[in-house]
Amino acid sequence: MSETPRIQGATRRTVIKSIGAGAATMAFGGLARPAFAQSRTITIIFNSNTEGQIEALRAAIADFEQATGAKAELNLMDHEANKTAIRNYLVAGAPDICFWFSGNRMKAFVDRGLFDDISDLVADEGYADALGGTLSAVTVKSKQYGLPLAGTLWGNYYLKDVFDKHNLTPPTNWDELMAYNEAAKSAGITPLAFGSRELWPAAGFFDELNLRINGLDSHMALMDGKMSYLDPALTAVFDHWEELIKAGFFLENHTSYNWQEAAALLGQGKAGMMNLGNFLKDGLPAEAIPNLVFVPFPKIVDIPRYEDFSVDSVHIPANSKNKELAREYLKAFYAPKNLSAFFAPTGQIPPRNDLPPNTDPLVNQAVESLKTVAGTAQYYDRDTDPDMAQAGLNGFQEFMAKPERRQDILARLEKTRTRIFGPLDA
Amino acid sequence: MSLIWRRHRTWVVPTLFIAPSIILFGVVIVASSLQSVWISFHDWDGFGPMQWIGLGNYEELLGDPQFYVSLKNNLIWLIIFMLAPPLGLAIALLVNQQIRGMRIVKSLFFVPLVLASVAVGIVFTWVYTPQFGLLALAFSAFGQKAPALLSDEHLVTFAIVIAAIWPQIAFCMVLYLAGINSLSEDLIGAGRVDGARGWNMLYHVVLPQLTQVTFIAIAITAIGALRSFDMISVMTQGGPFGSSQVLAYQMYEQSIFSYRFGYGAAIATILFIIMLVFILWYLSRIIRAEEWSN
Repeated sequence: MSETPRIQGATRRTVIKSIGAGAATMAFGGLARPAFAQSRTITIIFNSNTEGQIEALRAAIADFEQATGAKAELNLMDHEANKTAIRNYLVAGAPDICFWFSGNRMKAFVDRGLFDDISDLVADEGYADALGGTLSAVTVKSKQYGLPLAGTLWGNYYLKDVFDKHNLTPPTNWDELMAYNEAAKSAGITPLAFGSRELWPAAGFFDELNLRINGLDSHMALMDGKMSYLDPALTAVFDHWEELIKAGFFLENHTSYNWQEAAALLGQGKAGMMNLGNFLKDGLPAEAIPNLVFVPFPKIVDIPRYEDFSVDSVHIPANSKNKELAREYLKAFYAPKNLSAFFAPTGQIPPRNDLPPNTDPLVNQAVESLKTVAGTAQYYDRDTDPDMAQAGLNGFQEFMAKPERRQDILARLEKTRTRIFGPLDA
Repeated sequence: MSLIWRRHRTWVVPTLFIAPSIILFGVVIVASSLQSVWISFHDWDGFGPMQWIGLGNYEELLGDPQFYVSLKNNLIWLIIFMLAPPLGLAIALLVNQQIRGMRIVKSLFFVPLVLASVAVGIVFTWVYTPQFGLLALAFSAFGQKAPALLSDEHLVTFAIVIAAIWPQIAFCMVLYLAGINSLSEDLIGAGRVDGARGWNMLYHVVLPQLTQVTFIAIAITAIGALRSFDMISVMTQGGPFGSSQVLAYQMYEQSIFSYRFGYGAAIATILFIIMLVFILWYLSRIIRAEEWSN
């Protein structure tokens, strides 16, 4: 086993290495191959520093090395740094295994031929049976380009003791939501903790409203650029949103807070609910976590329930030089023993249904809740084009701060949509 | 052999010494700048084929409201940052006094220069956070409610510049402290004999000797203001809704998040031209001033 021992240094080193490899490839036009390409060593780039997950990856490496006699090198990279570096290293100096996000973000790389088709591995190992519907998250044109990892279910979260103290009940439909809003305000707490400094939580709220009001097909048409941002179907979404904004539902000055700071208000009992994924618990003090309860976003229109369920994924880059060995590693990593160890520290929902039962009550709540869901989207910035997503995130944040600018914002979003996806057929 | 060496060593040795930096400068600065300009005429997502669109990116930029917001913010940065050299000078003169304990004061003023700008940005973000930030606590001590500076589209840039100017003042202070140490004792003594003190001494005797330092302080401050990026990224990510973006941040967002390298390169080119015009104008003034003083 020859992974890099120090976490802090590894991030910088990995970045430098991938930049250096990129420069070398450019300089020599791909003629000079690095000497280590022929050796039986695979490189893995992992995009998190969660200690328990790294241990699970190492356990998989040990299994892999025992089974194949080859070596594996584990490089750790910061989650955000990986998002920008991956485009460099997939083209020049690709590792043999990398971690990414399924859905449209994966498809962006599949379209450019940067991820390897691993349908053979999926078929040989019979992953389809263990994964069920989750397999669709990594499937493009009925071929698989990665293996799905932990899923994050989005919805409302509240603390049981805070709700009991103020005699509040979790809202399940629109009227109850408005009643909850008044009750929370008169109890002197913020109805919904919300931090939009990092933009994306605002888009998550848009997803919730659009999935409840227009449903999954309409939502995905909008994500795929096949529907105008000026479409009358969206009027109801923004009307409901504006009603909440004007009723003082959201944390005041939410653009100043990131989600961790907003979660702190939830943890202190100064806010009633928060709309986010189950990683929310990382922002709460340990003693509050046992009180945390998940409840789906309230029903608005009488349609089946659709949810945002974003799934991470693991891939073999198309430029990997050891694709066979990489498949062997994926087999070891995806074995139930290693995979369940990998998910234990995160509180995310495992993709395989044949793993040992989870001990985290929050995960079990989400798993139960997912059984009644009619269909899932991923998340606004994972479902739509990245360029569109950036414009949308800014637009939704602006709408939440300045709802009176709705028409300007939507016109601007439609202009961006037209630039990216082209004009709609009349 | 030694004859050839003797004949050529006058140019071979300097060339060998200069070559590494020339090559590095050529590859890292000149070539990549030219490549950026070339990219700015294309529609390019960063991996796929580049498509020539001529001045398309520039035309779009001129119609982009965000571009004018960024340009205006760059101007705010530049103007407020110009306070750094005079404030740095004032503090340098203050801490240069021979008073007990001044060393400690000096090092306190020096501290922000040691901190990474990202750390400064994070600390100021905490100060500005509504409800539990230091600013909010200070206001509430007087029964007032602090404005949410980072949520106000009109105040946010000023709030960030205040955070960013703190290390910049310290930097100017260090420059001036070095300059003050090399002041000519003779000239000051002569001035004193002629009865100069206070403002007169500062304006007519001390400042003229610090002209070179002032030029450097202003040039570096201006460049620092125009390339400001890290503070914005840490404190607001350009928000709320793009109102604190500057050209450098807009370039980053368009290239990295929106995958529009051509558009980002066009913004970079505009920023490059602005800096070039400023520096050429400024250099010409320095050269004229030096010729005049000789």
